[in-house]
Amino acid sequence: MKHSFLKTAFLAGLAFAVSSLVAAPALVVNKGLDKEKIDAAMVKAVFLGKKVSWESAGRVTVAVLKTGPVADAFYKAALDQDASGFNNYWRRLAMTGGGIAPKSFETEADLKKFVSETPGAIGYLDEAQADASVLVVKF
Amino acid sequence: MTSLPARCFSALLAFSALASGLQAAISLGENSPVQIGGFFSQGYMISDHNNYPVDTKNGTADFREIGFNASTTLGSHLRLGGQLFAQRFGKYGDDKVVLDWAVADYNFRPEIGVRVGRIKYPRSLQSDVLDLDVVRPFIFLPQSIYDTRLRDFQASFDGAMVYGSLTAGKNTIDYKFYYGDVPIKTDSGVADYFNTSSLYANPPGLKQIGLDSVRGAALSWTTPVAGLRLGATYSYSTNLLVSGPFRQVPSLTSSINLPKAEYMGVSVDYTTGPWTFTSEYFINKLNSTLTLPAFIAPPSHSTGGYKAWYVSAARRLGKKFELGTYYTETWNSYPSATALPSSNQRKDWALALRYDVNDHLLFKIEGHAIDGTRDMFNVPGVVNNNFKNSMSLFAAKTTLSF
Repeated sequence: MKHSFLKTAFLAGLAFAVSSLVAAPALVVNKGLDKEKIDAAMVKAVFLGKKVSWESAGRVTVAVLKTGPVADAFYKAALDQDASGFNNYWRRLAMTGGGIAPKSFETEADLKKFVSETPGAIGYLDEAQADASVLVVKF
Repeated sequence: MTSLPARCFSALLAFSALASGLQAAISLGENSPVQIGGFFSQGYMISDHNNYPVDTKNGTADFREIGFNASTTLGSHLRLGGQLFAQRFGKYGDDKVVLDWAVADYNFRPEIGVRVGRIKYPRSLQSDVLDLDVVRPFIFLPQSIYDTRLRDFQASFDGAMVYGSLTAGKNTIDYKFYYGDVPIKTDSGVADYFNTSSLYANPPGLKQIGLDSVRGAALSWTTPVAGLRLGATYSYSTNLLVSGPFRQVPSLTSSINLPKAEYMGVSVDYTTGPWTFTSEYFINKLNSTLTLPAFIAPPSHSTGGYKAWYVSAARRLGKKFELGTYYTETWNSYPSATALPSSNQRKDWALALRYDVNDHLLFKIEGHAIDGTRDMFNVPGVVNNNFKNSMSLFAAKTTLSF
């Protein structure tokens, strides 16, 4: 009985620890993009450099995090690839005349500041880091 | 440390120290629309029997590429950019700086865009990344399709391209249609491809090489199956003309004209977790007219071409290592009845290991076991008086990029 309780407690603790490590990325955009209808296909086209301009807000500027679980989780959810694949995709494009690589940031605070201040900017960060300076978009 | 490669290496080292974030480019200021990027690769090759792909039997460090690019945007749809490139691959390239690509690109919407200028040539799946060591574990792409010595003919063309991306549900089709001219120099590996025949006096080798046009299409289908992509390419060149001094009477000229040379390929690549699998099948078909001095023989017409394929697998091992292997074959579609069977085909098994020191510096080593001598040269600078049917090639390379 005691053994069973300890096992349950251990598994509950493990589940909590794992859930706290799983990043929950949020798509954020500059507030000037409030009229854009952004869906999953558009997010994919934007982050892969295929859509370069908004209907209402000029040039698309993509902001990404350099590394980390939030970046990994976002690429998996939005693009169905990992960070290594995303980086290789952009290396290939940028070095062969196929596009301009996303702006990259070390911290979510820097990325959020950039998105909030740059017309047409779009990026991602941990949903707990999102605030009123940017628009959070569900896709 | 005063040579051009050494100076470029130092400059790139400084840039890479400045770089942050996505390892593809540096923005000049947070809000600047100008982005720069570059790479420097230095390698070493040594082979045991034949001088292949270049003069390798005694080992050579004449194996490097340098690229520096800059791009910017103007308004919502227009992008401008270009890349300077220098290469030394055995006797080819000579570290001369050339314009690799320079484009003006207007993207109307995801479904359609137009690019003009010097554009990377999508002749087959990986033609646009011939020089980009950073995007693969291998030092050499499969030489059956991506012959490094023939870079002049595969890297870029001067002309225009229409491109776009069509999405329906979880399917995406990326397309490119293009037309232009491929610049080729008489001191290139393409020229030696013809010089190695018994037709021309060499030295001095070809006096003229060029073509009228190249046109084609490339399609890539990103399927609903995660990580699975299928591709198809087709292109053809018109009136590829080479001429030079006739070997037996060098004061007279002989020439080869290829009115139409076609290139067709299909490919599949699949990425799942740390694994990447790629395979490609490629066909070349051509008609040629050989013109010798009139008193020797009248012009003669013939059909030629080759086929090639490869299958490759690569696996990332943690953050630092990647292991890759491929097997590839190429053979003449119309083999000469008088030639040795081994000269009509070539098989190559490769094993490679990549180590990423950090985001900007990597090392690779690679071994090849090669059977057959198809397309091996015997020209000044790449001498093969007696071909061996089997050989081994070892290569090591480091790349710095930002």
